[in-house]
Amino acid sequence: MNEVNIPVQSLKTLIISMISALILAFLILVVFIGPAEYGIDPTGLGKKLGLTVLAKPLAENVKRAVSCPTGEQAAGWQDIVQITIPARSGLEYKFYLQKNAQITYVWSSDNEALYFDFHGEPAGDKSGYFKSYRETTANASEGDLTAPFTGTHGWYWKNDTNKTIQVTLKTKGQYKIKGLI
Amino acid sequence: MLNSCTTKYPISIKVSASLIVTALTLLCISVALAHGVDANTQKFLQANQGVAIGPFMYIGAKHMLTGYDHLLFLLGVIFFLFRTRDILIYVSLFTLGHSLTLFFGVLENISVNAYLIDAIIGLSVVYKGFDNLGGFQRLFARQPNTKVAVLIFGLFHGMGLATKLQDFDLPEHDLWKNLLAFNIGVEIGQFLALFFILIFLNLWRRFNCYFSFAVATNTLLMAAGLVLFGYQMIGYVLST
Repeated sequence: MNEVNIPVQSLKTLIISMISALILAFLILVVFIGPAEYGIDPTGLGKKLGLTVLAKPLAENVKRAVSCPTGEQAAGWQDIVQITIPARSGLEYKFYLQKNAQITYVWSSDNEALYFDFHGEPAGDKSGYFKSYRETTANASEGDLTAPFTGTHGWYWKNDTNKTIQVTLKTKGQYKIKGLI
Repeated sequence: MLNSCTTKYPISIKVSASLIVTALTLLCISVALAHGVDANTQKFLQANQGVAIGPFMYIGAKHMLTGYDHLLFLLGVIFFLFRTRDILIYVSLFTLGHSLTLFFGVLENISVNAYLIDAIIGLSVVYKGFDNLGGFQRLFARQPNTKVAVLIFGLFHGMGLATKLQDFDLPEHDLWKNLLAFNIGVEIGQFLALFFILIFLNLWRRFNCYFSFAVATNTLLMAAGLVLFGYQMIGYVLST
């Protein structure tokens, strides 16, 4: 029936092999994958190896990425937010606007210029369509927008440097904050 | 003859050992990378509308070549296949299996929990390692039909591909063209992967210790499959 000849190992070899596979898999899971992927670190080795950083729950990262500076409620602005963009990564900060609603904004980076795409996505659209309003590399930008359609509108920033960049974004207008996405 | 590693080819032990170490290191690294779709591909899939043969083929090929679960399974399948004809038969069965579920899964919108399907794919690797040790014949005194097994596990691998593609709400219009492109890409990727795996295996088979290291290699294969299984199951438990 089977023209392929598989050498059949002795029972002893087979059992040793199965037990070693189980132990090896268990160790890799407990020491490396658990800590790095899920933050589960029963042995404490994951933390020593610095792996647990990789598995920080998303909510925690988000909290740290956005902070609202107090005492800086500069005149005329509705919301001020400080967004931390980690080195070599990008993130989005969005607002929800009805069609024809307005948003006035000014943002600046504390450091280098970064690539950004100010864009909007129609509400309920699933095709992935988006419309760019402004897309360039700069360390600050300001202006206002009248929403061409109901949906989310906001920025995608990409930090290509090796340092974290703080972006301070001030806004006013008729919108709801959706925050980091 | 089978155990003449030490006397005839002293260097081959070193070579094989270092190969295993390399393989293990690669496994650890690659497990750490999520076997999904990377951020740029994700952006493309979400923004794409209409037929895009080139990109879908590329994504399919890339998925296969960077998909260590598929590659490990393939390695297990051809480990003891020495004739080109056998390799062609088994690989075709695997291809048939995963193409069927990839198409039906996406077109009929059949979605399975990604963690569970990936866990089963992990088990397929464990199965093949166990099978290559003659485990079924030794422990159960009978050998399940290896061709049927490859076909069935092929179905699961395709279901995994389908589940990942479905996450993207691909546009319905002309969907099958994109799917076909993706599938052709998967086959190209598989062909390329097989090419390199076979070069590697044929090189290794020139040493007699291929057979004595078969135990170690298939033990590692089982371990790798169990790691994938555990990794996905923890993910499943945490996500529910």
